[in-house]
Amino acid sequence: MNDGASATLRRLLLLILPAALGGCAFDLPHSTAVGRSDFARAILDVYGIIVWASLGIFLVVAVVLTWVLVRYRARPGAPAPAQTRGHTLLEVAWTIAPALVLLVIAVPTIQVTFRTQPAAAPPGALEVVVRAWQWWWEFRYPALGVVTANELHLPAGRPVVLRLEGPDVIHSFWIPQLGGKRDVVPGRVNRITLTPDAPGEYPGQCAEFCGASHANMRMKVVVQAPEDFERWVAAQRAAPPEPEGPAAEGRALYSRLACVGCHTVTGVSAGVLGPDLTHVGSRSTIGAGLLPNTPESLTAWLLDPPAVKPGVKMPALGLSEDEARILAAYLLSLK
Amino acid sequence: MTATHQAALRAAAEAQAPVLARLGSWITTADHKRVGILYGASAFVFFLIGGLEALLIRWQLARPDSAAISAEMYNALFTMHGTTMIFLAVMPLNAAFFNYLVPLMIGARDVAFPRLNALSFWIFLAGGLFLNASFLVGTPPDGGWFGYVSLTSRPFSPGPAIDFWLLSLQILGASSLMASVNFIVTILNLRAPGMSLMRMPVFVWMTLVVQFLILLAFPPITVGLIFLMFDRFFGTHFYDVAAGGDLHLWQHLFWIFGHPEVYILILPAFGIVSEVLPTFAGKPLFGAPVVIYSGVLIGFFGFGVWSHHMFAAGMGPVADAFFSVATMLIAIPTGVKIFNWLATLWGGRIRTTTALHFAVGLIGLFTIGGLSGIMHASPPVDLQQTDTYFVVAHLHYVLIGGSLFGLFAGAYYWWPKITGRFLDERLGKLQFWLLFVAFNTTFFPQHYLGAVGMPRRIYTYPASIGWDLWNLVSTVGAFGIGLSILLFMVIAGRSLRAPATAPADPWDGRTLEWRTSSPPPPHDFDTIPPVYGRDTFWREKHGPRRAPLAPPAADAHGVHLPAPSRWPVVLAAGLLLASIGALTHVGLVVLGGLLTVYAAFRFALEHHRNPAHEHQVGALGLDHRKVGMWTFIGSECLFFGTLIATYLAYKGRSVVGPHPHEILNIPLTTLSTFDLLMSSLLMVLALAAVQRNDRFQARLWLAGTALFGLIFLGFQAYEFTEFVHHGLTLQQNLFGSTFFVLTGFHGAHVTLGVAWLLALLVLDLRGRLGERDAIKVEVAGLYWHFVDIVWIVIFTLVYLVP
Repeated sequence: MNDGASATLRRLLLLILPAALGGCAFDLPHSTAVGRSDFARAILDVYGIIVWASLGIFLVVAVVLTWVLVRYRARPGAPAPAQTRGHTLLEVAWTIAPALVLLVIAVPTIQVTFRTQPAAAPPGALEVVVRAWQWWWEFRYPALGVVTANELHLPAGRPVVLRLEGPDVIHSFWIPQLGGKRDVVPGRVNRITLTPDAPGEYPGQCAEFCGASHANMRMKVVVQAPEDFERWVAAQRAAPPEPEGPAAEGRALYSRLACVGCHTVTGVSAGVLGPDLTHVGSRSTIGAGLLPNTPESLTAWLLDPPAVKPGVKMPALGLSEDEARILAAYLLSLK
Repeated sequence: MTATHQAALRAAAEAQAPVLARLGSWITTADHKRVGILYGASAFVFFLIGGLEALLIRWQLARPDSAAISAEMYNALFTMHGTTMIFLAVMPLNAAFFNYLVPLMIGARDVAFPRLNALSFWIFLAGGLFLNASFLVGTPPDGGWFGYVSLTSRPFSPGPAIDFWLLSLQILGASSLMASVNFIVTILNLRAPGMSLMRMPVFVWMTLVVQFLILLAFPPITVGLIFLMFDRFFGTHFYDVAAGGDLHLWQHLFWIFGHPEVYILILPAFGIVSEVLPTFAGKPLFGAPVVIYSGVLIGFFGFGVWSHHMFAAGMGPVADAFFSVATMLIAIPTGVKIFNWLATLWGGRIRTTTALHFAVGLIGLFTIGGLSGIMHASPPVDLQQTDTYFVVAHLHYVLIGGSLFGLFAGAYYWWPKITGRFLDERLGKLQFWLLFVAFNTTFFPQHYLGAVGMPRRIYTYPASIGWDLWNLVSTVGAFGIGLSILLFMVIAGRSLRAPATAPADPWDGRTLEWRTSSPPPPHDFDTIPPVYGRDTFWREKHGPRRAPLAPPAADAHGVHLPAPSRWPVVLAAGLLLASIGALTHVGLVVLGGLLTVYAAFRFALEHHRNPAHEHQVGALGLDHRKVGMWTFIGSECLFFGTLIATYLAYKGRSVVGPHPHEILNIPLTTLSTFDLLMSSLLMVLALAAVQRNDRFQARLWLAGTALFGLIFLGFQAYEFTEFVHHGLTLQQNLFGSTFFVLTGFHGAHVTLGVAWLLALLVLDLRGRLGERDAIKVEVAGLYWHFVDIVWIVIFTLVYLVP
């Protein structure tokens, strides 16, 4: 590296750094830098220590490297360098120094590792069974008798234990603002224990590659004030309103079609391979967070699911536009 | 005749030879330098293919909701990009340097087994072509380079895509394994007199560590792939959750290989930097023994940290904590290396050549990659980082900032030695700066993208999340990297058309390769060079005046050059044919298998009784072939160890019968075990008879050993048939799957041993196995005894332990 070049590099860095920091907002919806649960905040504590330690080490290396390159660059007439072969004390020192830095990192790491994976559920914890399918999420509340998909409702301030189970391939449950990810492994039960801080919507998506539509396996967690959560549970447990008009026609169509083989609508069908649709009209998105839950997008989805979501297990049923529209009306009526 | 003169004569003769003959001489070559060039050239082509895949990936991600590439094609592209860059680009580019330089640096005339070396290359090429052929038939692998089950199991990946992937990985593994045995023997046994282990250049040391990593890390993945292959082709249940299988098994087997693989990819670059920095600083490597020990430690610890790839998999806090601390420990020897490099530059007289630019670039960029690696050594932090773009950034800082920068440093440094020509230094520095800036533009923002939650391996993302800007920047950077690679090709092309002006020692080098002409003559050195110590060539040139060492005794057989052979390429073609057959027609498998076996026999017998091959005792005082067999047995221990461990881990997990205690016939197996033990005794007698040239007894005991082996196989055939009658098949349950695959592979080893013994017997009957061939019987015996010992372990753990 010659002097001109390293000066260019320095100027470049001066230009890039502010631009880079200006373009880097950390309050984005999927940011890992905002902790909105005890789990996420515990992680951020360790994260902070490691980031600062790393920056420190990098600065030392960068400064020494730059200094050495500038100071010891070959100049005409410079004498041949001394053939130094090593220095025991120095080498012992720079073996021990990183070991000490690592100790500073290791201790909180291990504390948080154990603290965030408690062996027993905290008292009063809400248990939710998370089942990850290619490519959508099923959420079951065994104690509450509620089953829903892709939108997980949780009460703020109450500990929750997510029991992760997988029926097909490995997925990974991840809501960045609520904490770290955990794989959903068929044949094993993994757990995430956390307490969400405050009401809000927290998006996430599958983090383990799981096939064609891995990118389209999104979800969100809706954290609600306890009383709002109770209201939501009550609504989910109630039977959906009796459909009227086109929606009633839609229900007849639904019962005739292959829909019933895979989907459950309480009192109408009991399929288990696709999302439970009993209250699908109350959800804000369809296709695992892919599209807003509106009549137009639902109709487009029903006409040709694989066109919307590559590889999706739901086939195109060969519906006419009208059929798709009344079917959508029925599904949206399932509040 | 001087070496330069000879090289000139050879070049002149070659230039006049017809094209076909020249091509033929490359196809049949066993010269380590030519094999090295073959590795380098073909790996560079694969590197371009992998780079093209990367550009397509970046093209798709440049904008949100992009529809440039379909989801399925995107998944295939990142799978192939990873697999290609690791197995077909960086590993073989490293191999190109090992091949070309290791013999030169230790003062040898070739590797220990030159034809085996050529075989490694051709098998590698077959594997690479087979993998990429998947594009031509429209089913490229799409399960990720890590191929997690059950996504890659037949029910979720029904087509041939994954079969292409797993078969080519097996082929490439075989190539790497052979090369590792070859280089371990070469480095341990072919060193010039005076070249003690601690006097070896650090690049040779790193090569040695890497070969041990390959030797010991590939067997677990080989076994993991065998399980996947049996699941997919023959309906076994290794990764079948419904039958009691555990999906974590694959992850453990994959990462026991996968983590050492990281060091397999990076340590050669560390070795290159440890040669380049001292040369251009004009100083010895600071604390060379410590750099060597830390490389060995990195390799050693590398086997104890695999589960840090599985912190999110749910192993529990105890395992998490253990693997976290083990991983952090690796940072210590790695940090030591960086400090020693800095101290090497300190106080030097630094010549800022292009090679030095790349070496210094490695120090800076690898430091970033290493530090981000420490971040995800912490399980809680890793839970936020793993499977995000933060890890993509990290691994590219290690593999581009580390491996690729190291490889470029090596290319600029050794190009004059290899071609006799220089690479343009001014354009070279331009290429460095282009790559340096473009690389950081591409990958530094990915740290940020990961921190704001962008997962890996997603073909698209919505506009609303705020990931657009830096994805676009990253894509622009990626095309800059492409531009710098193009520039390198221009520089290399111009150099190859320019006249050969490079002297033997253009950089004032410190190691032995600079002591011979550029390019070196076919026999490397006219006389084996003297070794005065570490940096021996530097001492010879600049050291205190000392009496010249007495030249090492001339080789009793004169300079022996490895003869070309056509059998390596034929054998590789047989393997390729069999692999094609596995996806098309079983007839081709048989045909390919027969061709492989035939070529293997011709290969083995090609130089039988060639006087030059009789005496192969090296620096360890042992025959190359014996050292090679011991090395191979080390790998086999891991192979059978993995099979046996899986059997034990799955014991009692079968959901249906028959179970072991209902079906294992201990008295009968005791008998067959006794038979196999006795065969070892006969093997000892056979070797003793051959050594004292007792023709009759040699034949008797060789035949006896083979017969006892056959009897053992008979017992096994009877046992298998009985089990099938009792309803235990490969497909019946986990016990059937693990039992048949374990004992079946042992049986296959016995079968191979019997074939080997029979071949020796035939040689003997033809009067071609005399006293001086005893080493061949001895090597066969080592293998035979090993296979017997494995059986004793299997008999104890599978049959006797309840």
